[in-house]
Amino acid sequence: MNKLPLGLALDLRNVVPYKTGSWRTLLPVNIMQTPPCSNACPAGNDIRGFLRTLAEKKDYEAAWHVLTRTNPLPATCGRVCPHPCEEGCNRRDFDTAVAINTAERAVGDYGLEENLEHKKLIASRKERVAVIGSGPAGLSCAFHLAKRGFHVKIYEAYGEPGGMMRYGIPSYRLPNYILRQELDNVLKLGIELECNVKVGVNIPMDQLVQTYDAVFVGIGAQKGLSIDITGDDAKNVFTGVDFLREVNSGKYVDVGKDVVVIGGGNTAMDCARVAKRLGANVSVVYRRTRIEMPAITAEIDEAMEERVMFRYHTNPVKIITDDDKVVGILSVQMELKEPDASGRARPVPIPGSESVIPADTVILATGQAVDYDGIEVQKRDGKWVAANENLMTSIDGIFAGGDAVLGLETVSAAVGQGTRAASAIEDYIEGNVESRLARPPVIYSRDLNTYYYQKKKRFEKEALPIHMRLKHFKEIYPPFDLEAIIDEAERCFSCGLCFNCGNCFMYCPDNAVKISPKTGLYEFDLDFCKGCGLCAKECPCHYIQMSLER
Amino acid sequence: MMEQSKYLEGVEKKDLFAHGHRACGGCGQALAARLVHDAAGENTIACVATGCLEVFSSPYPDPAWRIPFLHSLFENPAAVASGVEAAYKALGKGPVNIIAQGGDGSTADIGFQCISGMFERGHNVLYVCYDNEAYMNTGVQRSSFTPYGARTTTTPTGNKTRKKNLPMIAADHGIPYVATATVDDFRDVQKKVKKALAIEGPKYIHILAPCPLGWGHPGELTVEVCRLAKDTGLFPVFEIVNGKVTNVRRIPVKLPVEEYLKVQGRFKHLFKKGVPTEEVAVIQEIANQNIERFNL
Repeated sequence: MNKLPLGLALDLRNVVPYKTGSWRTLLPVNIMQTPPCSNACPAGNDIRGFLRTLAEKKDYEAAWHVLTRTNPLPATCGRVCPHPCEEGCNRRDFDTAVAINTAERAVGDYGLEENLEHKKLIASRKERVAVIGSGPAGLSCAFHLAKRGFHVKIYEAYGEPGGMMRYGIPSYRLPNYILRQELDNVLKLGIELECNVKVGVNIPMDQLVQTYDAVFVGIGAQKGLSIDITGDDAKNVFTGVDFLREVNSGKYVDVGKDVVVIGGGNTAMDCARVAKRLGANVSVVYRRTRIEMPAITAEIDEAMEERVMFRYHTNPVKIITDDDKVVGILSVQMELKEPDASGRARPVPIPGSESVIPADTVILATGQAVDYDGIEVQKRDGKWVAANENLMTSIDGIFAGGDAVLGLETVSAAVGQGTRAASAIEDYIEGNVESRLARPPVIYSRDLNTYYYQKKKRFEKEALPIHMRLKHFKEIYPPFDLEAIIDEAERCFSCGLCFNCGNCFMYCPDNAVKISPKTGLYEFDLDFCKGCGLCAKECPCHYIQMSLER
Repeated sequence: MMEQSKYLEGVEKKDLFAHGHRACGGCGQALAARLVHDAAGENTIACVATGCLEVFSSPYPDPAWRIPFLHSLFENPAAVASGVEAAYKALGKGPVNIIAQGGDGSTADIGFQCISGMFERGHNVLYVCYDNEAYMNTGVQRSSFTPYGARTTTTPTGNKTRKKNLPMIAADHGIPYVATATVDDFRDVQKKVKKALAIEGPKYIHILAPCPLGWGHPGELTVEVCRLAKDTGLFPVFEIVNGKVTNVRRIPVKLPVEEYLKVQGRFKHLFKKGVPTEEVAVIQEIANQNIERFNL
C-alpha cells in the first residue's frame, strides 16, 4: 500500500462511491418527440434534422442529405411552398417562427451548385414500376422507388418533365434552370423518362398494367375549367392553366393593354402577375373579398405590391365581344350572405349594379380538373381520383396521388403523397401487410423551458424592388447569404430532441449525467441518479422526461 | 472524450466533488459545492464546517471529495483555513487554493467572529457561504439568514426578523473581493470563483443554494426557485471589487414576490386560501428596497 500524505485517512483516488441510485422512485428517460414543423409539413420533411445539422455542423452538404431523405425537390419547395411548417413552429409563441422555407431554398440551391448526388439505398431489384406524369407527385414516387432499387419509367405527356412545376408556375417564382437541374439530379438515380407520351392516348393503360408490376398515376389537374359564361369562346379568352402553359412554354402571348383575371386562387395570382410582366394593366375580379381568397397570402401581397388591381365583390356576367375579339366584361357587384357548403360567405348579386370593365384579354382561373382522357378509374365526387389510405385506386396495382387525388394542393403535398405511394407500392409488390411506423407524439410550446433560448431577429428574405421585378421574368428573390442562413438555423428550438445544451450535465447535483464514450451523447448514470427531476425540469426541449421507476 | 458542447465553453466539469454523496435529491448545496470546486481545480484544499455539506459528503470510507478535505467544527473553518494558509507560507510551499466554506448558520451566526478575524488579518483564503437560509442539517432551525416570514421549526408562525446582509458586512472589512451568486447560473458561479481565486487576500462568495426539504419545494424546482429569487429582487446578484458594487445582474422582467413565495412550503402560511396576508407586502417592500439599492 502506498504511503499516504500526512493527514489523509484514505487514498481518495481509490474510493468506491456509494450507489445512491437505489433511492430513486422516478427515472429520467430520453424521449424523442415529433416537432410541430415536421408534423405540419405535407411532405413530412425532417425540418429539425436539417436545421440542427446546419446550426451545429455548419455543413450544407449534410443538411442537403437530411432534407432529400424525404423531399427530392428542396430548391423547388424552398421557393414555392406556402410553408405550413412555419405556422406550426413553437418559436412563434416566443418571438417569431424560424424561416424554414428560406433555409430550405438555401440548402437546395447549395445542393444544385455543388452537384450533390442522391444516394441509392438498394442497388437494384428486378421489379418495374411505371409512373404517369412527372409532376411533384410522380417524381417523388419515382425518386423513392428508384432509391429502393426499382426500375422506374416515367411517362410524360408534355415536351418537358415537371408537370405543373414546369408549365404552371411562372419563372419569377421558380426559374426553369433550377427545376431542370433538380429534375436531372433525380433522374440520375436511373429513372427512365419518356416525354410526349400521353398514357391513354398514345399508349393504352392496359399495356402498362401488363408490362409493369405497379403503376402510379400522378397526372395532376391539368385541365382548366371555365365558368359558364357567354362569350368564353372568343379568341382572347384563356383558361388560367392554358395561359400559364403558353407563357411557360416560351411562346409570346399578346395580351394587349388591359387584362382581366377571374378567380382568387394561386393560378389567378400567377396569371395576373405574368400578365403584368407582359406589360398589361391587370385587374383580378373576385366574387368575395380577400379573406375568402384561397390563394397563398404571400402571393396576394406580392401581387398587390406589383400593382395588380383587385376588384372584390364583383362577378362576371358576360364577356362582351366584338368581331370574335374580347373588348370588355359586363360585371355585377355582389354582397356576401351566410356561408355556403365550402364555409365561405355566399355571394349574392345586387340588382342594378352592372358595370363594364374594359379588357383585351380575359383569363378564367376559376378551377381545374383532372384530364381523364383514356384513364378509367373510379372517381370521388365525380371529379377526383378515388384512392384508399394506401393510395391504391379502384384497380388493383394502380396507385394514384397528387392533385389528381387531393384536389388542388401544393407541391409539398404532392411530394408527400408520392412518398407515401412509394412505400405502399413497395409493400404491394413484396406482399407485405401495410406497416407504417407510429410517429412519436407532437411537442407543443407549453412543454418547453424557453428560459434558455435567446430572442433573436428572424431572417427576412428581401425581394427585388418592384420596378425591377416587372421588366422581366427573373426570380424576385436573389440568393441568400449562407452565413445568415446558418444563424437563422440556430434559432431552431430543436423541440423534442437533444441539442447538447449541457443543462442536465451541469445541473445534476449527483453528477449522474455522463458523456457516453461510445456515442458522445449525454446519458444517465442510473447507479447514482436519485430521480430528483431537475434535469427534466431544466431540459429546454423536453427531451428528458420523468417516468415511474420500473 | 467528445468535443465539448459549444454551450459549455468556459465551464468546468471535473467531478472533484463526485457522485455517491448522500444529499437529498435536488440538493442546491451539493450542486453549488461541485460548481465551486470544479472551477477551483485540483490544486485546492477544502476546509469545511460542520453542516449538511460535511455530513453528506464525508462518511468513511466513501467520501465524495477528490481533493484534500479538512473538516473543522461548526464555528471555525475560517480559522482553520487561516492556519492552513499560514502553514503553507511558513513551509514555503504553494501556491494552493484554500477554500473555507460553510452553511449560513456557520457563516452568519456561530462562525462569524472567525470569519471576521480572517478578513481582518488578510489571509489569502476564499470563503464560500452556501446560503440555504436556516440550519437544515439539524432540522430546519432559524438562522440569522432566515428571511422575513419564512417558517422554520423554531419560528412556526414565520420569522419576524430580516435577513442579515453578510456580503455588505464582508465588504465593509475592506477585503478586495465580495460576490453573490445563485446555483441556477453555473457560468456565473464558476466565473466568480475563478476571479476570486486569482485575487490575493481574503475573498467572500455568497451562493444561494435552495434546500428542497427545508424550503418545502420539489427537488426539480431547485434551479427555478433560484431564478425566481433573482427575478423578484429578493436575492440581488452583484460583485464588490475594492469596495465598489459592480456587475449587478439586472432583472430582465421584474416579478412580484408572490411568484417566489408560492412555490415554497415555508411561505405557505402567508397565503390564507390563496389570498396574500400583509406579510407578503412587507416582503415585497424588502424586494423593492433591494431593487432600489442595487439598481437591479
